[in-house]
Formats: sequence, structure tokens, C-alpha cells
Amino acid sequence: MPLASNFFSRPWVRWAAIAIVVVAVLAVPLGFSEYTNQNLARIGVFAVAVLGLNVVMGYTGQVSLGQIFFVGVGAYVTAYGATHGWNIIVVLVASTIVPGVIGLLVALAAARLGGLAIAMVTIALPIIGVPLAKRLSDYTGGSEGVSASFSNAPGWSGLYNDQWQLYMVIVVGGAVFLLTRNLVRGKYGRAFAIVKSNEAVAASMGISPYRYKVMAFTVASLIGGVSGFLYMAVIQFTSPETMTFSHSITLLASMVIGGSASIVGSLLGGAYYVLVPQWTNSINPNLTELLQGAILLLTLFLFPGGLVTLAREITQRVRRPNRHSSGPEQQHTSAAEAVSSHGEAEQDPTVTGISTERQHKS
Amino acid sequence: MTLLELESVTAFYGPVQVLDAVSLSVPEGGAVGILGANGAGKTTTLRAISGTVRAGGRIMFDGVDIRGKRPEQVAAMGVAHVPEGRGSFGALTVRENLRIGAYLRRDRKGVESDIELLLELFPNLRDRYKAHASSMSGGEQQMLAVARAFMAKPRLLLLDEASLGLAPSTATTVYDAIAKLRRESGIAMLVVEQNANLAFHIVDSATVLETGRNVLTGTSAELKGMDEVRRAYLGG
Amino acid sequence: MGQFIQLVIDGLSNGSIYAVLALAIVLVNQATGMVNFAQGGMAVLAAYLTWWMTEHGLPLLLAILLSVLVSFVVGGLLERFVIRRFERGDPDTAVVVTIGLLTLITGICGWLWSYNNKQFPSLFSLHTVNIFGAAVSFRSIGTFLVIVAIMLALQALFLGTRFGLALRAVAINPDSAALSGLPVGRLLMAGWGLAAALGAVAGALVAPQLTLTPGMMDEALVYALAAVILGGLSSPIGVVLAAWMIGVLENLAAVYVDFIGHDLSVAVPFFLIFVVLIVRPQGLFGRKAVVRV
Repeated sequence: MPLASNFFSRPWVRWAAIAIVVVAVLAVPLGFSEYTNQNLARIGVFAVAVLGLNVVMGYTGQVSLGQIFFVGVGAYVTAYGATHGWNIIVVLVASTIVPGVIGLLVALAAARLGGLAIAMVTIALPIIGVPLAKRLSDYTGGSEGVSASFSNAPGWSGLYNDQWQLYMVIVVGGAVFLLTRNLVRGKYGRAFAIVKSNEAVAASMGISPYRYKVMAFTVASLIGGVSGFLYMAVIQFTSPETMTFSHSITLLASMVIGGSASIVGSLLGGAYYVLVPQWTNSINPNLTELLQGAILLLTLFLFPGGLVTLAREITQRVRRPNRHSSGPEQQHTSAAEAVSSHGEAEQDPTVTGISTERQHKS
Repeated sequence: MTLLELESVTAFYGPVQVLDAVSLSVPEGGAVGILGANGAGKTTTLRAISGTVRAGGRIMFDGVDIRGKRPEQVAAMGVAHVPEGRGSFGALTVRENLRIGAYLRRDRKGVESDIELLLELFPNLRDRYKAHASSMSGGEQQMLAVARAFMAKPRLLLLDEASLGLAPSTATTVYDAIAKLRRESGIAMLVVEQNANLAFHIVDSATVLETGRNVLTGTSAELKGMDEVRRAYLGG
Repeated sequence: MGQFIQLVIDGLSNGSIYAVLALAIVLVNQATGMVNFAQGGMAVLAAYLTWWMTEHGLPLLLAILLSVLVSFVVGGLLERFVIRRFERGDPDTAVVVTIGLLTLITGICGWLWSYNNKQFPSLFSLHTVNIFGAAVSFRSIGTFLVIVAIMLALQALFLGTRFGLALRAVAINPDSAALSGLPVGRLLMAGWGLAAALGAVAGALVAPQLTLTPGMMDEALVYALAAVILGGLSSPIGVVLAAWMIGVLENLAAVYVDFIGHDLSVAVPFFLIFVVLIVRPQGLFGRKAVVRV
């Protein structure tokens, strides 16, 4: 339908479409039930967490099994700040900076090591994090965890708590998504992609793999911290249980299934993280793990790029029914693609299928 | 007696056609060259023979149609392919590389004496016998790759761009050694080379490929005499 | 002094558990180039199978042997049908696939046999022997000896046999291996099959001590991976020594270093990895990969 793609490539149409979407999104909390709003808010929380993981793993290709650790730290810092009466902006900043600093330190040390070693170091984070959280009970409330409620709707807003919290998630999460989108679309994103595809090539181009790995990892931990802040806002309780290794794996699976190296994929990943365990538990709790493993494997077999690639294929077929999709070699053309899904970052076409040899990691 | 016969062989990489009716034949004990510029389809021709790439047309080895056979099966029939880029087992030692070459053989004594023979021919390999292949220079790795192929005692040796990435003197050394091996063993060879001068060291005849088709075929003497060949491939 | 010896002995015993998993991981890596996060899960599944057979009256040794055989076959099939298509691609995707496999296998165990602990019969008796003032059980000794035997067998396999060489060649360069006539597909399956069989032995050795649950090997897996990194991906002896070292140091640190204590002793292997890798990136016993560009 060539007429339709011409229509969508006009600038005013794009802006109008974005405006409509924004208004619709802002109206959502007012329209849905408390239960739905809470679920949506949780999805937002974990979408941010998955986004962080995507920055270091999806875009830069470094396996990180420690993202949930930063979420946990962010949540703990938020709880501490909230229970000590800090200003909420200060709390937000602290819950972002503290995990960010930890992430930076870990990255500075670990980024020099090979792939498997990095994975091990990131595994260490939740594994050591849990007993550490129990140990530092003065700050963390030990095994029992800590609650904090600072996200109740203020009187002047006339909103219910769940609506207020969802707005918080939308505003803060939305800001993070936008900033990240700009990051990965810009020159840093391109550097990440080159480091991911071939470090030797990156180095020869003057792009230091070490530097960009550290950057990606730090950004991921910063974003994880924000996710932790939102986590406390929505769930209002955290404990060592928040950052277990098994949650780490579920987060990884969510990223892969939602779509690695994709902004929209991170949203889908958040939805997966929240909704699928609810669903599988309702069928049969004993079946939960089995189903999750099966879904992850099926996704890797059928849509290695995640569900977001499925969504892309469908929207492409709809817009151009005559065009065959020729897989990863397909050259993405023109403005029509740019409009295609609001805010989605495309996988760099030069990255897919570049090297036919196996990359040997030491 | 014709050992290898290619008739109108075609091959595709995805939707792109790389070989378009390539034909050639190699007699028992003979040596034929495949010349041409980059991208002409020379490497793909060898891959079609060794089974690494699927092809159409006819590929007859020793009277048997080997199209569609897996590389392991083609190798077992007596075809040794020295791939472009050497294909060494980097993390294995020279000794281990040679032993892998002899994987299909059962004659222990024969293998030992062949190793000796090859180390005589390639003294560098003897010096680096216990070293890892990845720590060797390009020329040494090329010699190792050729030696590895010879360890299989093949009837046909497919040699792909043996001079690639080598300094001219090293490339000449390698080709001299290969020529000597040919004289002593009588193995048939199919040699892909961009540098026609080097190829003519070894081959009796050659075919020139351009965009997947034969454009010239003849004996070495004939080809060396042709102006086009001289200009395009022999440096005028 | 007695406590020290006891801690060391216990540490060696724990370390043996990590060692046997680490050996399986090394085997799969040497044979297919991948790091298999599901190794522990496969061992657990084999252990459940063994347990199930003993519950139906089979003698323990026979049950173990049968599950070793079944594991060999299942391992080969897994390689062929699940893992094969990811072997040539991005190694990190391969890791995620094995993580998915781990989740699936653990889930299967949980679904078939529930998440409650089950008691697993012990191959060796629990009688103890006195060594330098420490009480050592026959089970510990037996486990230790089995592992040493396996380690030596693997070392011999890789370095001394044609088959071992073929396994390594296929992992290093499958295309060249095919051109030399190696049956690549069959060798890949054999590699996974052997590792799975090894895992079955591991599972049977540790289940009595850890009690059988789907997540039984999760912690051991992390330690095993640490041992693999420390010991070097290419060295069976190296990873076993590393695993023992981790087991012993962890125990000693838990008792002698106050601020670590038992709960944080899990930090010890990671700290070790860090220190060692900064000094020697290829691990304590691994070979340095020199790549001429």
C-alpha cells in the first residue's frame, strides 16, 4: 500500500501520531482498574530493568547475569532514603548513583577479562549480594527485608495510589527509555555495536573495547538503579529475595524473549517478566520452571532476535504486502522504516551475520 | 584416465549465482590450474568438489558422482582440500595437526614414515614440531596445511590460494616444495591461484574463470603464450 | 590442628563435587567449544532417573550404570537436535541456550518428581576413618578416588588417544576436521554424550550428601564454573586442582576469617578468580592462546 507509507512519512503526520500515542498513554492509568494499573506498573519497572540489561548485553554483547543485583541495590537505597525522610528527588538520584558507582567499579576491574570470566563476575553479584544483604541488616533489614511507602498519591492530585504510581513509572521510565534510545541510536550505540561484533576490528578503528564495555556496564547499572527506585515505588517492599540468581536468569530470559538490542523488545521483556510467571503459576506451580525453559528455548529457535522481530515482520507485511522479507540481509530503507514503530531502535544491519567463523573467546 | 570431471557445475550463495556452467577435468596424476581474478568463483569450484558447498551439474571423481556427498565422505574417497586461509587447527601442535591429517589411515608405520618425509621437506615444521599452529607464521602455516593434506595420502589434492598473504619468496618456497611432492608422489592436483606464474610452476594445463564461467582453457605453454593471460595474470 | 585438618578434608570433599561437574564442563568445551550451563541440571536429571529406578527395586549400582548409558544417549541427542544449530554462532547466544536448557531440565525434574527433597541411597558407606585426627567418611574417600580416576582418564583421552584428538579438532575447526575426513556430527554427539555420562556419575556421587532436589547442583555449578576459569578450559587436571583449592579455601576462610563467616564464604571462589585472572588470564593451568594476526 504505497499510499499509506507516503502518508506516514510526512513529518506532521509523525508528530501527530506521537502526540496521540502520548495522550493515550497518559490517559491509561485513569481508565483501567487498580489490578491492571498495578500490573502495568510492574511491567514498567521490569521493562526498565530489561532495558538496562539490553544496553550491556543486547547492544554491547557482554553476558551479564548480575543486572538484578543493581535493581536490588537501587531498591534498598530507595527504601533507606524513604524511611529516613529524604526528599524524593534525592532518593531517585541516590538510587541511581549508588548502583552506578558499584557497576563502574566492577566494570573497571572485570572488563579486561574474557567473556566467560565477565559472566562469572556478574554471576557473583547476586550470589554474594543475597547473603551480604542479610548480613548488613542495619541498612537492609536483614532477611526480613524493608518496606517503605513514599509513593502514595498526594491529596492535591485527586488520584488513587495505583494511578499515581503508574504515572511515576510512566514518567520516570519513559524518560529513561528516551535517554537510552538516544544513546543507542547515536555514536555510542554504534560503538557498542562494533565492539559487540568484533573487538579486534573495533580496536583497529580506534574504538577501545575496554572503554565501551565499562561504559555500557555502568549505564546498565545506572538504569538498574532507576528500576530499583520504581520497584520500591510500586511494590513498596524489598528483601534479599529480590536479587536472587534465579531472578537474574528470568531477567535474562525476558530480555532474550522480548527482543535483544531493541527498545520495544525491552518493553515486551518487562511484560514477559511480570505476566508469564503469573500465568504459568496459575496453571500449575510445579510446571512453571518447565514452561519458562521451554518458552526460552522455543524463542531462541524460532525468533533468535526475540518477539520484537515477530512484531516487526507482521508490521512489514501489513505495510507492504507484496514485499518478501529476505531475512537478516534485508536492507532497511527510508523514512517508512523510521516511522515504523515509535521509538524502536533497529538492530544495526551490519552486525547481523558478519562473521562466519566462530569467535574464539579465551 | 580421468580422475576428476566437472561438467556444467553451478553453485549459489543464497540468491547469488557464483558458478555458472564450470567445466574441467583432471587426469590421473595430472595437475590443472584454475586461474582468474578475485570473485571469479575459483574457491567455490574447489568447495563444490570437496562437498563444502552444494552444487548443481556433474562432479565425477573416479567415475563416481560425488555431488551431494558430505565433506567427510569426499575426503574418505581420497580428496584432500587445503582451504583458503590454511584451515589449521590453531590450538593443536604441528604434530597433532599432522596426525589429524592422517585420521583416516590405519597404517601406523606408514603414517610415521610420512611424517618423517614431510618434516624433511619442510624443515621449519620440524623445528616447531611441538609448537601450536597458531603461533606460526603464515608461510609455516601454509606448509603445515599442505603437509596435513598429504598425510591423508590422497589421490587428488585441492589447493586453494596457497600464496595468499605470503611474501613472494615464501610463496615460491612453498610452491617449490609442492612441486617436489608432486614429482615424488604422483598425486593429481587442482590448483587455484591468482598468481598464474606460481601456478605454472606446477600445473600442466589450466582454465581461466571469470564470473563463474570458463573463458579460456589450454596447456600451460598455450596460456603463457596468450596476450590476454599475460596482461591480466602474468603482469604483462 | 584437628580442626584445620577436618576443614581441609571437608573442603576436599566439597571440592570433589565441584570437580566432577567441572570435568564435564571441560569435556563439553574441548569437544564442542561451548560452555554448558546445563551440565549440573543434566546430572540432576540422571540422578533422579537413578533414584526412580532404585525406588522400583533395581540395585543401586545397576541403576547408576543404566542412567549413565541413558545419559550418554540423551546427551548425544541434545547436541544433535537442540544445541547443534547454535554451535557455530555467537558464543553468548549459545550460553543463553544452555541456560534455557538448564531451566527446562530443572523444570522437568520439578514437574515429574516435585520440588521436595528426596533421600538418595549412598554408593559408599558412611563409616568414618580417622586420618590425622579428622573423621573422614568412606564416602568422601570413595568420591575422591573416583574423581581422580576420571580426571586421569580424561587427561589421557585428550592427550593420548586418536579419539580425544579428534574431539578437540572438531571443536577447534569443524570445517577443516570434515575436510580431513573426521565424522564431525558423530564426534560432537559423542562429546556431549560423554559429558552427560560423566554428569550422571557426578549426580550419583553427590546426591546422597546434598539430598535430591531439582536445584541440587545449582550452587555446585557456580563453583564448578569458577574452577573451570581458574584451572583453564583445556586442562582436566587443572580444573580438579582448582576445584579442590576452592573447596578447601572456602572452608578455611569461613572459619578463620571472621568477617567472611559461613554465609559469605561463597565470595571466596569469586575473589580467587579475580586475583588469578588479573595475573594470569588463561587460568592457572590453561594454555596461553597466541594468535598471530
